[in-house]
Amino acid sequence: MTVFLCEDSVCGILTGVYDAWDSRLGHANVKLALKKGYQPEFFTDCREVGPDAEKADKVLRTLDRKMYLEDFEALYQALLSADDQKADDIYRMIVLALHTGKKLIHALEHPTIFRIFRMARKTGREAGHCCEFLRFRELEKGILFSVIAPQAQVLALIGEHFADRFPMEHFMIYDKTHQAMLVHEAGKEWVIWEHIEAFDETKLKLSDNEKEMSRGWQIFFDTIAIQERKNEKLQQQLLPLKYRPYQTEHLEKEEKCALFSK
Amino acid sequence: MVIQENLGILDKLKILSDAAKYDVACTSSGTKRKGSGTGIGNCVEAGICHSFSADGRCISLLKILLTNECVYDCKYCINRCSNDVPRATFTPEEVCQLTIEFYRRNYIEGLFLSSGVLQNPNYTMELLYQTLCLLRTKYRFEGYIHVKAIPGASPVLIEKTGYLADRMSVNLELPTAEGLKKLAPHKSRRTILAPMRQIQTMRQENQYDLTVYRRSLRFVPAGQSTQMIIGATPENDLQIISVAESLYQKFQIKRVFYSAFVQVNEDAALPTLPGGPPLLREHRLYQADWLMRFYGFEAGELLSEKRPNFNVFLDPKCDWAIGHLEQFPVEVTTADYHTLLRVPGIGVKSAKRIVQARRYGSLSFEGLKKMGVVLKRAVYFITCSGRMYYPVRLEEDAIVRNLLAGEKQDARMEVPKYHQMSLFDDTMPFADLPNMR
Repeated sequence: MTVFLCEDSVCGILTGVYDAWDSRLGHANVKLALKKGYQPEFFTDCREVGPDAEKADKVLRTLDRKMYLEDFEALYQALLSADDQKADDIYRMIVLALHTGKKLIHALEHPTIFRIFRMARKTGREAGHCCEFLRFRELEKGILFSVIAPQAQVLALIGEHFADRFPMEHFMIYDKTHQAMLVHEAGKEWVIWEHIEAFDETKLKLSDNEKEMSRGWQIFFDTIAIQERKNEKLQQQLLPLKYRPYQTEHLEKEEKCALFSK
Repeated sequence: MVIQENLGILDKLKILSDAAKYDVACTSSGTKRKGSGTGIGNCVEAGICHSFSADGRCISLLKILLTNECVYDCKYCINRCSNDVPRATFTPEEVCQLTIEFYRRNYIEGLFLSSGVLQNPNYTMELLYQTLCLLRTKYRFEGYIHVKAIPGASPVLIEKTGYLADRMSVNLELPTAEGLKKLAPHKSRRTILAPMRQIQTMRQENQYDLTVYRRSLRFVPAGQSTQMIIGATPENDLQIISVAESLYQKFQIKRVFYSAFVQVNEDAALPTLPGGPPLLREHRLYQADWLMRFYGFEAGELLSEKRPNFNVFLDPKCDWAIGHLEQFPVEVTTADYHTLLRVPGIGVKSAKRIVQARRYGSLSFEGLKKMGVVLKRAVYFITCSGRMYYPVRLEEDAIVRNLLAGEKQDARMEVPKYHQMSLFDDTMPFADLPNMR
């Protein structure tokens, strides 16, 4: 058994797929794993695979041509997921898709397909939650800034949504977990900056209007609830606690604000 | 009445969102619209909930009244003219500012604008129209707008507003005309149904225009909704869902909302509710509403004159299935989509997944679980490749008992014990069980 260790990124995993296939060792004799957190096993042979944009691009072009769109979407979401076993499942799914030429994602009885389906669903849900629960704060000069801490690399999935929504705004979404930043300049395409280290969001300065508007939102949030119907369990079920530190309505006081201390 | 002048925008927001909170509809679904690239906003088909308030209800839209001053005196309403509450009125400009600033920060999906009746219905509707017009043209807002049509306003104003809004709604207020007469003496069924009918007709005409002249303006693209108050008048559940059903069929309403009556006023005509708002009843009505809209059920199947109210212990679908055991068990590998939908524990998504998955191979109970079937409820009603998950006695009392026990633990049913029949059978199984239905 030969294990191909790849980097946890779309490019890294797809390069792994290319090299594993290209090694001609036979699909049963190769395995893909993520480099980070890999535990060496007995009787295996490890090969490290660095990300190679050209190889990844070749795989992508093949998939674009031969794979059903629905399958490809699921595969892409699985590529972004936080699952540490994802690399091998992605390889198996690609092998299956190219060999059978069928639409796969509905065959949930197949263990690989089911795992891909589950990863894609989880990533998709998290991206959806980010579109819902993410909050922008206005900085000086009217730039909108937001911090999120998702498990999966959702920035690539939510960029389109916000760029379509705010075409005339400058906005930035900082992904704390993966140290990446989505940047959109008014009237232009959005981009993702990766490997942002030593970024301190607490140094940013809020605009004057921001304080009034966030207070307005907190007032609205509190008054809109009907006391006679109070049900915090239901609230927590629908709005998980992990999103709350980043939400304007749950910052108790401006001074205590987790994002932007004065 | 407290007269306050020079209220700040946030003070007004506090008063007018507090006054609007009893309105239930807060959905932003039904319109799919890409941004034009020059304005602000877009719409997502499924709608987006941006937050959830302490009562667990979703916050999707900035739900406010334009004014909480009102000439009407509806008994159940916090804003009735005989109540002594602080009153405020937004200017159209203020509403636009709040909407845009909140929208930019991703707090909300759009605006839900309702209003008390200031001076007369026409004057109020005109104000609503002006606000929307300002928001759409000057601020170039392309997000979701839900606006109330004021009963009694001129059809011209409603038409003009409809071209700016995504959804319009007229509140039915109470399920029956008698109830309305008793609790909202200034409103009548006729004035409420007239704008509803107008919006329906205009939407149909607009659909035609859209197909013929592609680039025609869209009139109320997300359709209209309505709401009724539950528990303020003595109607039973059957009457309520029958009203909802006829609204869906005759007025092509997209959603009917049910709002459990919250006692905000003391009035001899209102019931006292020591147990708080009838939330469970509201929940059952919503469950039934979904069954009617997505599962192909009819009101008459769920309830009957003999049993006009929903079961407190079981959801309407389980309740229906237990009353129709002759149609079960359903074989999941062969049953068609509509039959699958009627099985408790199988929803729209899992039914679709089952239909898709069985094209690729056989199904198993484990596989069904992966597809999202709630086996806890479904086991009593399905077979998979001719087998049940475990031996189940298809018997009303036994299933009810296990369904209710299943709420707490995964209690497997015991295998039926057989015994010698005798003429004087005194070992009736479960004879001691209270009749749950």
